[in-house]
Amino acid sequence: MKQTLHSATLDNGITLVGELLPDLESVAIAFHCPAGAVHDPLGQCGLATLAGEMCLRGAGDRDSRRVVEDLESAGVLWSQGVSTTHMSFSGAMVARHLPEVLPIYTDVLRRPRLPDEEFSGAQQMILQNLAGIEDDPTHRTVAMLRRIHCPAPWGMPTEGITVDVEGIDVGHVRTFIARHVQPRGMIISIAGRIDWDDFVSRIEGLFGDWMPGTAAPVAAGPRGPFVAHVHHDSQQTHIALGWSVPPYCDDASHEATAALSILGGGMSSRLFTEVRERRGLCYSVSAGYQTHRDFANALCYSGTSAERAQETLDVMLAEIERLPGTITAEELDRVRARAKSGLVLQQESSGARAGAIARQWYHLGTIRTLAEDLERYDRLSVPAVESWLAAQPPRDLSVVSLGREPLEVSRAISA
Amino acid sequence: MPFLHERLPNGLDVVAETSGSALSTSIGFFVKTGSRDESNELWGASHFLEHMIFKGTPEFSGDEINTRFDRMGASINAFTSEEDTVYYATVLPDQQHEAFDLLARMMRPALRDADFDTEKLVILEEIRMYDDQPPFGADDRCRAAFYGSHPLARSVLGTVDSIQSLTVAAMRDYHWRRYAPGTIVLAASGAVDFAALVESARRLCGEWAPAPAPSRLVPDPPRQPAVSTTERIVRPTAALDYAVRMVAGPGEHHSDRHAARLLSILLGDASGSRLYWALIDTGEAEQAACIHQDYLDAGLFVTQLSCDAADVDELLTRIVEIYGATAGGGIEQAEFERARNKLASRVVLSGEKPRRRLFDVGLEWSHLGCYRSVADNLRIVESLSLDDIRRVLSTWPLDGPAASVIAGSGSGG
Repeated sequence: MKQTLHSATLDNGITLVGELLPDLESVAIAFHCPAGAVHDPLGQCGLATLAGEMCLRGAGDRDSRRVVEDLESAGVLWSQGVSTTHMSFSGAMVARHLPEVLPIYTDVLRRPRLPDEEFSGAQQMILQNLAGIEDDPTHRTVAMLRRIHCPAPWGMPTEGITVDVEGIDVGHVRTFIARHVQPRGMIISIAGRIDWDDFVSRIEGLFGDWMPGTAAPVAAGPRGPFVAHVHHDSQQTHIALGWSVPPYCDDASHEATAALSILGGGMSSRLFTEVRERRGLCYSVSAGYQTHRDFANALCYSGTSAERAQETLDVMLAEIERLPGTITAEELDRVRARAKSGLVLQQESSGARAGAIARQWYHLGTIRTLAEDLERYDRLSVPAVESWLAAQPPRDLSVVSLGREPLEVSRAISA
Repeated sequence: MPFLHERLPNGLDVVAETSGSALSTSIGFFVKTGSRDESNELWGASHFLEHMIFKGTPEFSGDEINTRFDRMGASINAFTSEEDTVYYATVLPDQQHEAFDLLARMMRPALRDADFDTEKLVILEEIRMYDDQPPFGADDRCRAAFYGSHPLARSVLGTVDSIQSLTVAAMRDYHWRRYAPGTIVLAASGAVDFAALVESARRLCGEWAPAPAPSRLVPDPPRQPAVSTTERIVRPTAALDYAVRMVAGPGEHHSDRHAARLLSILLGDASGSRLYWALIDTGEAEQAACIHQDYLDAGLFVTQLSCDAADVDELLTRIVEIYGATAGGGIEQAEFERARNKLASRVVLSGEKPRRRLFDVGLEWSHLGCYRSVADNLRIVESLSLDDIRRVLSTWPLDGPAASVIAGSGSGG
């Protein structure tokens, strides 16, 4: 499959990455600013998220309402979000609208008004979201796993902490944006029906004279305890397990993600088969991979009735422990087949591709072609996966339960 | 994108929207059955059966089905609603034959006793899972209150009691009655080899015995409430209150269904709508949405609100006032055009994903017996006028008698 991939870096440090998908009518664009939640100061967890919301509340000549109305008049399906590392503004639209939309995003990033009168609404919006999360047991369980497993500030909740958000004022937001929303380290990704040269020249015109600040270093702090229970008066108990695996930029991540996929990645995965299909213990059970640039973790999740939660946890732990030394060629074939179709199907979506090439640039500093990615899957072998598992078996697990009663971690897998 | 249709002698419709540029092939069986087609004894059977379809055929176990699909690299799933049970798979084009072969065999499941007993536990977990989550059953309770004795009142999942008392014999009978060729549409989208699909369908589905098409409609049309009702569900630990409010709207046979969808975007889309500016932007509500849902013989405007318990009654009142003001005070042309642009953009963007088109093509054929291309849909959206919106507002008063259910800690008003 012929692919047309592009990248360019402006003098001020903005990287542009793009992919032409000529059969689509749409274009998807995302601006990823290195202003994520890792930069939340101690005691102000949620500042980045609040700042991201404030950027949309008036920018350049547009007031808050005009920003949204102008995006939507152009038919932009937009979103804004803050992750651990980035503050991102994304939009998908029919390609011909891109020229009128780029100046709006430029204002949002370069000229946010941050007016006093919008602050209370933005702050209340974030607090409402936090209250909603209180009612989402799955989200809370996985967030707690991240919090105890990852070193601070990487594990802190990107959405914030209620008491911290209540203490933030508009001055904090202005300082945060002045410091972190800047061109150095910013990635602008675009995919779909694009004219690359025209796009680069427009971005240069709109962003080229934006002066970079200095990169903000982040110091990693300590991690949390290995086992945590969150009391929640619910019928189901939710379980999350995590352990450290190589990050995406490490070549061994390929073997690691293959092993995790065998454990809990598809309908024929071991967790789905043993926990749900054989025993009927739960509705949802899965294993996945969460990566930062310098470290990554495996994450397993399930939710089940309180009285069956201990058995569910025990079966999950047993399957994790059983993984080294038992990988079969058939299982690896299935991982390969699923990954390959996933990669090809991504080419049908401008939004998926814009996301994928931005991620690759952030983690790898390059964009892999589809052929390179497929070739990596062809190279995967049982001995390679086994050798990685032998060297780095799942150990030092972090375990979170959320429900009425704590669970007993009877099969602690540790070094 | 060419559309192709063929009907097998036993009544099974095969439809496809094919695309030369698609990289994937999507195939789905759209079964015309859902919770509205159940009796109280069979409450939850459609959804439970959807799970059982994956538990094996006479020749394959459930594990073998899962393993085969994963080996194809297939993305496979299913869903059940009030009116449909849909099984779908997306694969690379060279797997079309194999994916269809397995999916077709699954439509004639083994329904083994032991699998039924194990899967019953999974269904009960699914019921508990949703019961622990917002809106804590308020949506199902509101539909029940709104529809009263009409079959649309029944929830898709059933209840713990109805699932526990369901027998495998009753499910086998339900399957025999509801999965006949005349009540199933086989739809495909993307890079489809239609001739091969029809050939495979003849071989694998051609022997399915026709059965009389069951009537899906009851003599009495859905009851519309004459006066507003409000029920409360108490969940002491809930951080927010969750309100669901339903009033009547156009059903899927009504020409105003498209205008109704546009109106719901103008009133209650997740961004840039009237409810968004009034309640979300100000941080007064976590969610405030208006959604249009249509069924065979009925339609709904559903309002969803989540906010602090202390504010829920006042905000619901404000929402109804916003609906009233929209009907009474008029809508600016610019506001109307923004909503229409959003809808048009969604039609185009979702239209370029063959996996998404499968559902449009399959459900449209299954419900209305017709096909509409993305271009047709775009023409419909672009032809909508402010007068259409005004007509919907006056025909279906959103500020009229409604069924409302509020779930929350009970600490509010």
